[in-house]
Amino acid sequence: MHVLEVRDLVKRFNGITAVDNASFQVQQNSVFGLIGRNGAGKTTTIRMMLNIYMPDSGEVLFNGSKIGQNFKDSVGYLPEERGLYKKMKVIDMLLFLAELKGKKGREIERKANNYLERFELGNRKNSKVEDLSKGNQQKIQFIGTILHDPEFLIFDEPFSGLDPINTNLLKEIILEEKEKGKMIIFSTHLMEFAEKMCDHIAMIDHGKIILNGALSEIKKKYANKNVSINYEGDISFLKNHPIIESIEDFGNTTGIRVKQVEQIQELLGLLVKHNIVINKFIADEISLHEIFVLLAGKDTNNV
Amino acid sequence: MFNRRTLAIIKRELKSKLFSRTFIFMTVLVPLFMVGIFAIQYFIMSLSEEQKSKIVVVTDSEEIKSKLENELSKSNDFKTGLLSVNYELVENDKFSSRLNELKPELLSEKITGVIFVPAKLLQSKEVEYYSPNPNNSALFNKIKPSINNALIDIYFSSRKLTNDEINFARNNVDIKGFRVTKDEKVEEEGIGNKIALFLFSFLLYMAIIFSGSMTLNSVVEEKSNKIVEVLLSSASSTELMAGKIVGTVIVEVFQMIIWLIPIFLLITTSWFFLPAEFMPQTSVGYLLYFIFNYSIALITFIALYATVGAIFDNPQDAQSGMWPVLMLIMIPFFIAIGLESNPQSTLAQISSVFPFASLIVMPARMILVDVPLWQILLSIVVNILVVIGVFKLAGKIYRIGILLTGKKPKWSEVFQWLKMSA
Repeated sequence: MHVLEVRDLVKRFNGITAVDNASFQVQQNSVFGLIGRNGAGKTTTIRMMLNIYMPDSGEVLFNGSKIGQNFKDSVGYLPEERGLYKKMKVIDMLLFLAELKGKKGREIERKANNYLERFELGNRKNSKVEDLSKGNQQKIQFIGTILHDPEFLIFDEPFSGLDPINTNLLKEIILEEKEKGKMIIFSTHLMEFAEKMCDHIAMIDHGKIILNGALSEIKKKYANKNVSINYEGDISFLKNHPIIESIEDFGNTTGIRVKQVEQIQELLGLLVKHNIVINKFIADEISLHEIFVLLAGKDTNNV
Repeated sequence: MFNRRTLAIIKRELKSKLFSRTFIFMTVLVPLFMVGIFAIQYFIMSLSEEQKSKIVVVTDSEEIKSKLENELSKSNDFKTGLLSVNYELVENDKFSSRLNELKPELLSEKITGVIFVPAKLLQSKEVEYYSPNPNNSALFNKIKPSINNALIDIYFSSRKLTNDEINFARNNVDIKGFRVTKDEKVEEEGIGNKIALFLFSFLLYMAIIFSGSMTLNSVVEEKSNKIVEVLLSSASSTELMAGKIVGTVIVEVFQMIIWLIPIFLLITTSWFFLPAEFMPQTSVGYLLYFIFNYSIALITFIALYATVGAIFDNPQDAQSGMWPVLMLIMIPFFIAIGLESNPQSTLAQISSVFPFASLIVMPARMILVDVPLWQILLSIVVNILVVIGVFKLAGKIYRIGILLTGKKPKWSEVFQWLKMSA
């Protein structure tokens, strides 16, 4: 079992602590989510994990030993802000990225062509990068991230800017990589997305890890006072009701938190009594978003 | 620092540069441009000399008039028709009214100028020249010897001197330059070395500025189109910078060698003919030194350009942040060009071993004089130390700057980076 361990990382910039004693572990064969709002310290943490930044203190261990320059060869990184050499040919660009990781030759070229075919870009391999649409450039970037068959994948907001079909293709490939035993890290501010894809998460806020563990356990821990409903009608009577702690409207679903676990049945009674048509009523359910709001205690709009 | 990652980056740089249109264009264009500049200069020089001059010589002495007529008609320009002269005998006190009469012709440029040679001039040797353009040194150079000769003749004719004695007096002092080198032979110095001075200094200056700003742009581009973060997830910033610099240096040195081939052929073969006067005293050894020095200069300045590129994230800011580096190149360039007047001055000696300046001044100075070996060696040591220093400094700034975007950093912040661990 391979383990990547982040231990007590600290990074300051001009007196501001960007990452404050961050520690977490990433297991093999799992999808790990590093979650937090913009500017929480996700990218700085990732850059330290990749040895791009030197931490002020703390260390990053892979299978127990400290990572060095050569660790980068086993990583595929898709940064939040994508970038390619615009004047290069697509295939040359891909081969260059692979060569930087120490992979070159026929085999890697064949693989590059396979991936291009799979993303329906086979006929564009000799085009210049700048002649491709933005979405297609994203695909090239993605191929460049996984082409050298890294042990360890870091994706920063991988789906932004992709249409639904390609989003699915990407998910498919990511799950494939997971099946192959790769370690996958997502850094994202989109909670719903992390909730769907990740097994483990670490929540980061103001540089501090505020939550860390298996998603299912976290949910179990925080879920008991929460109800998620789909309904038709007006539930405004619940506002300021003595058993209700908070109501969050997510559009499709509404998350309601009661003050005590026993009050969930009472809530259901109230809804029926007020002639609300209930399409879905899930007790013990809490979204990652709600957990984040609960822990960070911040205005939800910024998340 | 140098490993397969650096190698991959170097390879990419070579590929993208050698096959670029700019490279091919520059390789062909620069020699044409240089030849063009000299041709234009030569053309302008010949043009201003070829101009026909029509002058009026006014004097109040019959003797002066006839002597001047005699001397001026012997001059080359008179014979070739480039100079035509009218002689007028006018009383001293009537000269100003005569000048007034000639004014319309002067202003309409029918006459180039009026020369007033009064008899009292035999004491003072002061001639007056009236013209809309009174600083016509091309004309003065033509007529001065003739006037001088006429005056000397008149002055000495009453003094019973032999012709030899008069001829001696008539001769101007002529200074011929002889180059003294370590070699036994003493050579007469032509204009060739001055041309070589301008040529080599200009080539060096222009090539550094050009490749520097290309590097600047490519670093800014990498930074602004965010590829740098992808690269940094594979290579370290030092590897990235080293790869970029080495790649550029290889391309630029290769280009310089192409540019120097005509000069190499000129001095080693007899395929081209150049009048001895124009022949530079350059040796193959000097060309090799020039290329070696150019490589070091490139590494130094390209590292600086790359650093500036890393500090800024758009070309406009980067250009305005360039001036300190530009000064390091321009000031030595002007010193190098100014060496022509005295290549052994204290300024020349100091600047040719001074950090940064040495890279540009020393090769220029070596064209004009035999620089003592210890000074050349000292300059090479200084330059290598500077390269190492610049590389370390650049590496530190590059490492931090390359990932920063957004607000344009202040210089004070950049100095802070030097202390940071990244």
